[in-house]
Amino acid sequence: MAVPTLEQRTTVPPVVNAASVTKVYTRGSEPGRFGRLIGRSEPATVEAVSDVSLTIRPGEIVGLAGPSGSGKSTLLHLLAGLEVPTEGAVQYQDTDLASLSNRRRTRLRLEEIGIVFQQFHLLDSLSARANVALPLVELGVGRRKRRQRASELLERVGLGDRISHRPGELSGGEQQRVAIARALVTDPTLVVADEPTGELDTETGRRVLEEFTRVAEDRAVVLASHDRETLAIADRIVRLQDGTIVDSADA
Amino acid sequence: MSLRNRLARWSGLLSTGVRRTLSRATDTNQQRIQFTVLGVAATIALLVVVTGIGVGLATSTTVYDDDVDYWIIPDTDGDRSLLVATDQPQFGSVHDTNDRIRDHDDVTFSSPILAEVLRAEHGDHTEFVLVVGVINSDGLDQVAGVSTAGLTNDDPYYDGGTAGGERTGEVVLSQSAANVLESQPGDRITISNAEFTVEQTAAGETAGADIPIALVQLSELQELTGADGYDQADQFVVGATTPGVQSELEGVYPESNVLTRGEMTATSVVDSDISLALSLAAFVVALVIGTLFVLTTAGLEIVADRTQLATMSAIGITTRSQLVLTGVQTILLTGIGGLVGSIGGLGLIWLTNAVAMETLTTEPIAVAHPLFVAYGVGVALLMGVLSMPYLLVLTRRVTGGVPS
Repeated sequence: MAVPTLEQRTTVPPVVNAASVTKVYTRGSEPGRFGRLIGRSEPATVEAVSDVSLTIRPGEIVGLAGPSGSGKSTLLHLLAGLEVPTEGAVQYQDTDLASLSNRRRTRLRLEEIGIVFQQFHLLDSLSARANVALPLVELGVGRRKRRQRASELLERVGLGDRISHRPGELSGGEQQRVAIARALVTDPTLVVADEPTGELDTETGRRVLEEFTRVAEDRAVVLASHDRETLAIADRIVRLQDGTIVDSADA
Repeated sequence: MSLRNRLARWSGLLSTGVRRTLSRATDTNQQRIQFTVLGVAATIALLVVVTGIGVGLATSTTVYDDDVDYWIIPDTDGDRSLLVATDQPQFGSVHDTNDRIRDHDDVTFSSPILAEVLRAEHGDHTEFVLVVGVINSDGLDQVAGVSTAGLTNDDPYYDGGTAGGERTGEVVLSQSAANVLESQPGDRITISNAEFTVEQTAAGETAGADIPIALVQLSELQELTGADGYDQADQFVVGATTPGVQSELEGVYPESNVLTRGEMTATSVVDSDISLALSLAAFVVALVIGTLFVLTTAGLEIVADRTQLATMSAIGITTRSQLVLTGVQTILLTGIGGLVGSIGGLGLIWLTNAVAMETLTTEPIAVAHPLFVAYGVGVALLMGVLSMPYLLVLTRRVTGGVPS
């Protein structure tokens, strides 16, 4: 499949669109009626993302850059439907994610969105292959196909000889690659990855980035990273600072 | 989702749940998981021991033998003990009736059983023993765990309605009876002032038969106890080749019950108030304590596991599927705990009997039966099922959000 040009991309409907999104976290719990009565103050709030708008189209790799605490991870979570915005809306294709029930949002993530976490978050009691195949269990894919697909992906990220190992028996880089394979196993339309090469050596990082470039041919990829080389594969780099977009430019 | 996909999903979730649990039990989360299993096992072991003692109390003097298929016992209206040698209704004309039962093609052996606790003497030794009267025949290898090999067949002293035949004076003693009377084959002993010759000692194999027992000809015991007037006995034991015999045995006496081995055990336990109370109390206490234990340990386990649950939600595993994984883990752990506890309980029964016989009694006080394993596992699984609603609610509450 030919990679669409920038002009072509702008004409196709977006995969995900964040419109004036704000996310506010509360530190601590609300005081409640009795708490207010005895003078407990309202808890402190933190605005992690403030009035951010972002459109991501198929075939596009978007890099989120910015210092720690700038809101990159929060924006990724909002785009992936892991959290709902305090204000504004995140639309996945034509669906407002906040309007979906938890169950439907979980189902949407299963079928449409692949997530790579900064800390990998693999299930430590399952083998690498079982970790990768887990979303396919939920989809009702038969055992043979599950194993075949998971093995294939692990092979592709260079872990063909580590399929039976548990996360505890893998290095940080290997765990990250398992997490990447898991994110891709359901063939999602949108892949979001938080520091996907953070734990990888140069050579492995390069292979993983090639994999992201390859998968981005027919889907959208959003990468949050500090790493210049990682961001180099992005079509567009969005810079965040203190929860707001300070720059958005084609790479 | 098609039926095929649903089945694939379910089988996938179950196998993932099993693999995840076993992996955690043996590798990634050993201590917490093993603590849960051991808690259930300890509770079940206690249940099995107390139940074993309860059943032992109820059946200790019941005529139990491996070869017996049916027991014919008087209808007791449920208010009398089934234990032999207690004041209960008896059958009459038992010799004639026994002949009729034996005539049945599918009956391999049968015998009326009369049991009384009588004073036995040998030299300076005097002891109360359970004297059991039987009509010996081929196929009736042992009664109350004592071999009948030393008794002449067909109760020769009984002579068509009167005890006018040749008195044999034969007695077979159980090991404990032989011990307390210090007698051996060939010795002459006195039971209720009548003389008997010890033909055999220590024969038989049933564990519960370590009670001091003396096996004699039925009519010779009837003469001692006054049961010869109406040719009485407490019960019949029958060996048969087909289950169809049971219905025909039910017609032998109008007010009687014909019980299989399982029914006999159940009836013995149910009709013995103290045993029933003991077993029920053990069941309730084990169930409550075990369930609370599972609730606590498995609950802590779920809370500690919240990051993994949130990860599952994040990658699209629904709460319902996570509940299946929690359910599989709970049932598997309680099942394994039940199995370990049941086997441990059987070991404790052995230990209890050994200690009791060393210090308190001459006979085992608790009964061990392989069925206790199934019982223990069943109760453990029930603990798991009872814990499930709380654990599922907890899983639902802690899952979701962004894994931290």
